[in-house]
Amino acid sequence: MIRVSAHDIGLLARRLAALPPAPEGWLEAAQELPQIKRNLDDLLTQAVTDAGLRDRLVANLESALAESGIRPTPRLLDEARARLASL
Amino acid sequence: MLSTAIDRQGHGVHQPSDEELIARCRDGDAAAWNQLVERFSRYVFAICVQGFRLPPSDAEDAYQDVFAKVYEQLHRLRDDGAIRPWIAQLTRRTCIDRLRAGVREQTAEEVEPAGFDDVLTTLDEALAVRDALATLPESCQEVLDRFFARDESYRTIGEALDIPPGTIASRISRCLEKLKSAMEDPTDAQRPVSG
Repeated sequence: MIRVSAHDIGLLARRLAALPPAPEGWLEAAQELPQIKRNLDDLLTQAVTDAGLRDRLVANLESALAESGIRPTPRLLDEARARLASL
Repeated sequence: MLSTAIDRQGHGVHQPSDEELIARCRDGDAAAWNQLVERFSRYVFAICVQGFRLPPSDAEDAYQDVFAKVYEQLHRLRDDGAIRPWIAQLTRRTCIDRLRAGVREQTAEEVEPAGFDDVLTTLDEALAVRDALATLPESCQEVLDRFFARDESYRTIGEALDIPPGTIASRISRCLEKLKSAMEDPTDAQRPVSG
């Protein structure tokens, strides 16, 4: 652990102020990442045998993911595109 | 860090160490992942916004990108006790990549804002202070966080915590003293604060 000289109350107050919370929704979105990844895995597994779903994903990945309840972040879109290409 | 905080009822609340959380995350424990994100959320946000001065939309993408990398690469972390510098480095690289995306001819050194290392040192110290804060009674954690980190007024704090606004300044003062003691001697942090 990093040691801070705690003799200065003002310094402690400034350090507390240095870490405000992230804007609303950011933390929750990061916490949902594992679930989103599992949902993407399930969707792509389904797309292997479901040609209609595969076509929808290829035609408009962003909206197809959103329709499936998956928030299409840039990183997730990149990952989904790469995995779709290898199906 | 392993510690025990005190809740409103005076019961000890176990705060798992970074190492414990990481081990549980690797086992697929969703609650541990939630705690890990919560523990480092402000740190990552501050590096993006204070360290690299990213505008809000870029900062949000970088923030989510960092936690996606943490999730995907956690198994590669060799020293579980070193997760803080690892996350700092992941965040730094992510922000640099984002800044370089529009100006590909620039090196990492050129896009990194001057004084970044000083900002990171400050944020590392701030995280250590928050570790100490987590060992204080919940009433102190809440009033200090609301006043300093969330920049709430005495009136807002009073309404949220159902305490007279006139007593908030003295409570803040006492809690800051308690925080100072916790930084100097962690065993002294457990006594509840009233008023």
